[in-house]
Amino acid sequence: MIEFKDVNKYYGKFQALKDINLKVEKGQVVVLIGPSGSGKSTLLRCINGLEEITSGQLLVNEADLHDKQTNLNDVRKNIGMVFQHFNLYPHKDVLNNITLAPKKILKLSQEQAEKEANELLTKVSMLDKAASFPAMLSGGQQQRVAIARSLAMHPDVMLFDEPTSALDPEMIGEVLDVMKKLAAEGMTMVVVTHEMGFAKEVADRVIFMENGVILEDSPAKTFYENPKEERAKQFLSKIINH
Amino acid sequence: MDFSGAFSWVNIRFLLEGLWVTVQVAGISIVLSFIIGGLIGLVRFAKIPYLSKIVGLYVEVIRNLPLLLIIFFTYFALPQIGIRFDIFWSAIVALTIFESAMLSEIIRGGLNAVPNGQMEAARSTGLSYGQGLWYILIPQGLKKMLPPIVSQFIALIKDTSLAVIIALPEVTHHAKIIYGQSTNYVLPMFVAMTLLYFLVCYALSLVAKQLELRFK
Ligand SMILES: Nc1ncnc2c1ncn2[C@@H]1O[C@H](COP(=O)(O)OP(=O)(O)O)[C@@H](O)[C@H]1O
Ligand SMILES: [Mg+2]
Repeated sequence: MIEFKDVNKYYGKFQALKDINLKVEKGQVVVLIGPSGSGKSTLLRCINGLEEITSGQLLVNEADLHDKQTNLNDVRKNIGMVFQHFNLYPHKDVLNNITLAPKKILKLSQEQAEKEANELLTKVSMLDKAASFPAMLSGGQQQRVAIARSLAMHPDVMLFDEPTSALDPEMIGEVLDVMKKLAAEGMTMVVVTHEMGFAKEVADRVIFMENGVILEDSPAKTFYENPKEERAKQFLSKIINH
Repeated sequence: MDFSGAFSWVNIRFLLEGLWVTVQVAGISIVLSFIIGGLIGLVRFAKIPYLSKIVGLYVEVIRNLPLLLIIFFTYFALPQIGIRFDIFWSAIVALTIFESAMLSEIIRGGLNAVPNGQMEAARSTGLSYGQGLWYILIPQGLKKMLPPIVSQFIALIKDTSLAVIIALPEVTHHAKIIYGQSTNYVLPMFVAMTLLYFLVCYALSLVAKQLELRFK
């Protein structure tokens, strides 16, 4: 489903990803952790082409992202992304945040798009806020709407970049619950998060990154109970104590 | 002093004719400079290769010239290379050249003020760059841009009076002709011009307020 082959990524002279080799199978949930600046967001953003890789090969759904022939808009239709700061459209209400892309890209009728949006809002328990504007919602509510907006395009893969780190603690659970539901339905997910409970419960693998390098790629249980890498051990002890 | 003759029926009519020219020149220039300024602003915001550099140079040059020079240039210098406009269109062309450069900067700034995450969210759902601009960035940017755009339009209306130097028959020019007849008319004509400019500009700002409310 997603495959990195010897991928390197530079921002100017700075190398943000170094020789990344990684394969994510259909239906897998992969959690990405590592210190700030280690390249987690960059790796995620390469998957939907928000960042261009510098060398190597990156295959997503059989499309070669580095190939000039590949239409990135087509690739992105099938990949949902959820951001740390939600990035809802402030000038549109919840319903129109969700229906915009299906109407413009999948050419759904207004009626059909609204019907699907309402189903998704039910799924994230936000149906009663369909007519609200993002500014009127709490962070947790905004993030659940953002997830619904991504799902409206019927993606095969969902990318999450620290979806709960901008939330007040009491709202983290409601967002993680939605994500767990998705995982249980068999969605392929790549999630940057330090939420250990979530990772232990739903992740197939945990990938530990530092300085643009993948240092460890282990099953979730093994990783948290007995990480192979010394650096991963140190990192874990830091996030646990804090 | 006797001010009464200043507002004879003939004079009032003559003033209003001038005002109508002012309004026409301003109106046409506003529409043209908004379209051209909008396109330039978009090209520079999107950093379209080459084109962006070229229009960037245009904006930098024009912004650093006095409008008066541009008016002189279109009326007196362009005919020398075979481009000839009458007084009316010379004024419009000069104002459009100048104000489109100003507006493009406002529009570019407004688009830049929309957080990066907005375009990223749009692209991540599969929308193209153009769709992201049209549905997401422009509506949000416009809301931020509206007050400075309106100020620029009001500046444009006032700037039409500079075209008096190429004898555009607009309101300032007509007032000048009237008070040229008698020193008694000087004060009344300045009061009249003050009122007329104020009314036109104020009307525009009222329209803008309505628009702003609609946007909310
Ligand atoms: N657009 C960019 N331009 C230049 N450097 C960047 C850019 N985005 C990220 N970086 C750098 O790349 C490194 C990895 O960043 P990022 O992928 O955001 O890390 P993480 O998400 O793990 O915190 C950081 O050192 C960051 O400063
Ligand atoms: Mg990050």
